[in-house]
Amino acid sequence: MKFKKILSLAVASMIAFTITGCGTSTQSNSGAGSTNSTSGTAKSLSVDIWDSNQQAGIQKICDKWTETSGVPVKVEVVDWNNYWTLLEAGASGGTLPDVFWMHSDYSRIYMENDMLLDLTDRISKDGVDTSMYYPDITSIYQSNGKTYAMPKDHDTIGLLYNKKLFDEAGVEYPNSNWTYENMYEAAKKITEGTPDGTYGYALNTTNDQDGWYNIVYSYGGNIVNKEKTDTAIDSASSKKAMEMVRKLLTVAVPQADVAENGTDSLFKSGKVAMITQGSWMIQSFYSAENAADYAWAEIPYADVNGDGKCQASERSTQYNGLGWAASAKTADPDSAWSLIKYLSSKEGQEMQSELGVTMSSIPGSSDAFASSFKGMDVSAFINVEKDGTLQARPGTRNSGVWQAPMKQEAGFLPAWQDPSNADLMSSCCDKVAALIRNAIAEGN
Amino acid sequence: MKMKKKMSAAQKKEMLWGLAFVAPTILGLIILNFYPVINTLYQSFCKTGDFGKGNTFVGLANYAKALSTNGGETWGALWNTVKYALIEVPFGVAISLILAVLLNKKLKGTSIYRTIFFLPMVCAPAAVAMVWGWLYNQKYGLLNNLFGSNIAWISDPKIAWISIGIIGVWSVIGYNMVLFISGLQEIPSDYYEAAAIDGATGIKQFFYITLPLLSPTTFFIVQTRMIGALTVFDLMFMVMDTSSPALSSVQSLVYIFYKYAFTLGNKGYGAALVMVLVVFIMIVTVILQKAEKKLVYHN
Repeated sequence: MKFKKILSLAVASMIAFTITGCGTSTQSNSGAGSTNSTSGTAKSLSVDIWDSNQQAGIQKICDKWTETSGVPVKVEVVDWNNYWTLLEAGASGGTLPDVFWMHSDYSRIYMENDMLLDLTDRISKDGVDTSMYYPDITSIYQSNGKTYAMPKDHDTIGLLYNKKLFDEAGVEYPNSNWTYENMYEAAKKITEGTPDGTYGYALNTTNDQDGWYNIVYSYGGNIVNKEKTDTAIDSASSKKAMEMVRKLLTVAVPQADVAENGTDSLFKSGKVAMITQGSWMIQSFYSAENAADYAWAEIPYADVNGDGKCQASERSTQYNGLGWAASAKTADPDSAWSLIKYLSSKEGQEMQSELGVTMSSIPGSSDAFASSFKGMDVSAFINVEKDGTLQARPGTRNSGVWQAPMKQEAGFLPAWQDPSNADLMSSCCDKVAALIRNAIAEGN
Repeated sequence: MKMKKKMSAAQKKEMLWGLAFVAPTILGLIILNFYPVINTLYQSFCKTGDFGKGNTFVGLANYAKALSTNGGETWGALWNTVKYALIEVPFGVAISLILAVLLNKKLKGTSIYRTIFFLPMVCAPAAVAMVWGWLYNQKYGLLNNLFGSNIAWISDPKIAWISIGIIGVWSVIGYNMVLFISGLQEIPSDYYEAAAIDGATGIKQFFYITLPLLSPTTFFIVQTRMIGALTVFDLMFMVMDTSSPALSSVQSLVYIFYKYAFTLGNKGYGAALVMVLVVFIMIVTVILQKAEKKLVYHN
């Protein structure tokens, strides 16, 4: 009788605890994908990334590493909008994935708070030559003389266009001598020369890296200066650039439609003739239904000095490089470092290019990338590095603080919604400048 | 002289067993409810550091920022939340009440209808938001293509809040209806028979018998749905894109709390916003409690 009582009490408490505890444990599982880093002895690594296009390729490279190391790797995808929120929750709670992507927008805040495994000693012990990478990218992941992440890749921006829509409107295809004015003319002709609902251009106003950032830098302005101390978005050059953006928006898909549908969906549905996109997105368009109609051209330039020729500084492409980082609290730092070392090694990088995942972080080893997309010429992404300037993506210590409001009501959104109003764009530039300066002043 | 009754050994034993059984729940409540409330209150007075480290006490600075500097956004969000509640609660209650009355009769197929009406409650909120988002799509959505209209359901600041409210009503009808049906079944049928004998029509019966006797249930539903509606977040978060022109006219208070606390990492400010919402909900609840005394008919 007594045994029955104790047994029923034990079962009841267990049920109660599992119900209350169940919620939290599933949350941390889906949040940071890190069941393994808390268990200590389990020998397998959890890897978190945000780009589903790259998942298959990265898993292949990790599996190759597993062949020699014997440690299995699971690559999981958390989409960009939620990646940083979940990573931060994991960092605050102490359950980061073992290995994960780091980005220039957030690298400083993670490094300064000792969330990332310090790789400096391991790099020198294993004799890894960090000078073989793009220096801009390596420095993103260094703080106080220490290195916290290995460069994973680099990317550039290109112009994607739909040959079918160009033919329909009788407009010549983009070429490498196009200025933004030429682009505007072509977009205008296509918007007017195709049935209602089809446009020549669409600007993804939320993804600044593949859109208007390039225009701002091509005209000589900037969003954040090199020293990360100030912004020049309200300078005359920047305002000229944003005026060009405004002009393009007058013949582009209305902002409300872009918000509801997204530029990529609109392009793939044949509603837009041109969009700018990054090299990390090639796979998505290569495997699309109408990929045969698509082609890539070099991103246009801004003829600032009016000489009719393109100087390198007039053709600016945003470039960024992700980093492979490990959690400072990972259960198996040696395996994590070994995986990171392999992923960023010449062998790993060349495999990454061949699989068409992204362009390499080592200059000169991205040629395999260009030929990995049979039937689609993606040399525009590599040519722009010779014809133009690579501009590191602007960021501060905690870029999210000013990047989010910049694209909403407090920033450029009113101007994007009403492109017919030139003064509105100019005053929005001033508003955004104040926003960024404020954020920097508050230590962001 | 009154002697304080001492508990017998058997009663003490029972009490201990009782405590043992509720201990897990109490522990859960303390760890997952009470402690977070106090922690949030504390954080609302701090400027939170990165990753929760290094909170610095700043007194009422967060509240000042929330209520006056960013007052436009805060009061706007509160007003949006109230607008949403003004659609969800009255319409949700009215429609589900009528449905409950209709489905309380012993007709053929009532159980099938009840299942159909309850289905929205079973659907995952994210799936609901995704499907409704596509229904509402201005160019390619089902609604506009079916009716041949070109209404910007969720991109027009003037009507986006109504569209979101409609989704809210749709998803809550099933839940309210089930509660109403159970409330209806508690009303003795004698009243209806007596009224029928006296010659009362169906509608008269509804207003003079059903509504008053249903008032405790109705009040319960209104109160819980009111609090639920004031804390709405997932609909706005999943249906509206961050670059939507109508975002500022639908974002709820919990939405901007999420934006500041999680997307922008400013948990202290977010905590202050949440406290403002808590105070508001308390005021609403007090008003409802006062109304209960006057409007609810208790046996």
